[in-house]
Amino acid sequence: MRAADPGLAGRRVVLALALLGLALSAYLTAEHYTGSSTLACSASGVVDCLRVTTSPQSVLLGVPVAVWGLLYFAGMTMLAVPPAWRRAGLHRLRIVAAVTGMTFVLYLLYTELFTLDAVCLWCTAVHVVTAALLLAVLLVDPHSGVTATPRPAARQARPG
Amino acid sequence: MSHTDSRARTAARQRERSAALRARQQAARRRRLAAVAAATTIVVITAALLVTRMITGGQGTAATTGAEPGVIAEVTHVPATVLDAVGAGQGASGPTPITGAPALTTAGKPRIVYLGAEYCPYCAAERWAVVQALSRFGTFSGLGQTRSAAADVYPNTATLSFHGATYSSAYLVFDGYEQQSNQRAGGSYAPLDPVPADVTQLAGTYGQGGIPFVDLGGAAVINGADYSPSLLAGKSQAQIAAALSDASSPIAKAVLGEANRISATLCTLTGGQPGAVCRSAGVQAAAHARG
Repeated sequence: MRAADPGLAGRRVVLALALLGLALSAYLTAEHYTGSSTLACSASGVVDCLRVTTSPQSVLLGVPVAVWGLLYFAGMTMLAVPPAWRRAGLHRLRIVAAVTGMTFVLYLLYTELFTLDAVCLWCTAVHVVTAALLLAVLLVDPHSGVTATPRPAARQARPG
Repeated sequence: MSHTDSRARTAARQRERSAALRARQQAARRRRLAAVAAATTIVVITAALLVTRMITGGQGTAATTGAEPGVIAEVTHVPATVLDAVGAGQGASGPTPITGAPALTTAGKPRIVYLGAEYCPYCAAERWAVVQALSRFGTFSGLGQTRSAAADVYPNTATLSFHGATYSSAYLVFDGYEQQSNQRAGGSYAPLDPVPADVTQLAGTYGQGGIPFVDLGGAAVINGADYSPSLLAGKSQAQIAAALSDASSPIAKAVLGEANRISATLCTLTGGQPGAVCRSAGVQAAAHARG
């Protein structure tokens, strides 16, 4: 009988957050390429998604920020699927990616507050997910219940 | 196997298990510490940004200044070859003809009325084409240089301003009104040019309730921007003006395409004068596209 895996819940949370971020980024990317014409967000005062998503700062190095977000969460999702947890060396990459994502979010928050004078609620949702993802990645035990499991390839290679 | 060996092995296994448990507990403690440190850092930086934003009140919009001579020269003297190459352009829809409206004239000349505001991003986009087109029929002086409001869509779109500008032409009369600046005053923007009642009435009759509103001699109107301000995003006035000399640039295709379309309408008002403008390939192509 296999023992209960205390790290499983944490790994599931990481995957769920990555998928949630992916969905939010996909929505913002679709809105970017359709001129943000159907963006479901308030447009009054400081909270104004359209002002943020149509600003010059919504594009970085020629690529829309929403697409950068989509790529980031797609990468994090790949790092959070069950097979990826079996490779111990990937956890360091997971942490580096999560810290990089959070640093970028703080830059975007600065841009919203000081350059654009507007806050986009959908973007804020992505920012919260990114922060939660960083904390979940830092808290999760990447080895629990994973390294103890023999790799199928190793089992096959063993004679008898 | 002796009983003593068995007890020693059991004790060794217990020690290993204890050591492994301690290692796991230490690792868990390190992870918790890292998470707490990260959460604290995020909260502190976010709070610092929010407090600073509340204290400083954010970034305002740059006030209007006199236009750079180089910018004006490039906008008002676009080479005819570029205008002809662009023709009806791309991404510009041009003025909408109106029927049944009385001819709008001043002292026997067709009158062009522009109603907009400096904070307005759509006015910011449309002004480039209006200035370019009218410059082929006359001469502007005193044009301003400004940006749309930072606190609006398409923030800080670089543009020109008609506030304080004058226009002289042998063919047309132009009256431009920037009813508000781009500077906050109370809950809105500071008032700028007083708008005469007849202009308000024109906008109410032929406009759609928004700005910019341009009435081209009672023959056609422009309601809103005929091309997207997003084309100008992140560009300075100098960059936009420079792009107008490159017929292949998206800015030239939109701005000059719209300018040619406006010129085609103006030519119907001036009886095809000046001929060099109204017979030019660019204006003819725009007139043909208008149908």
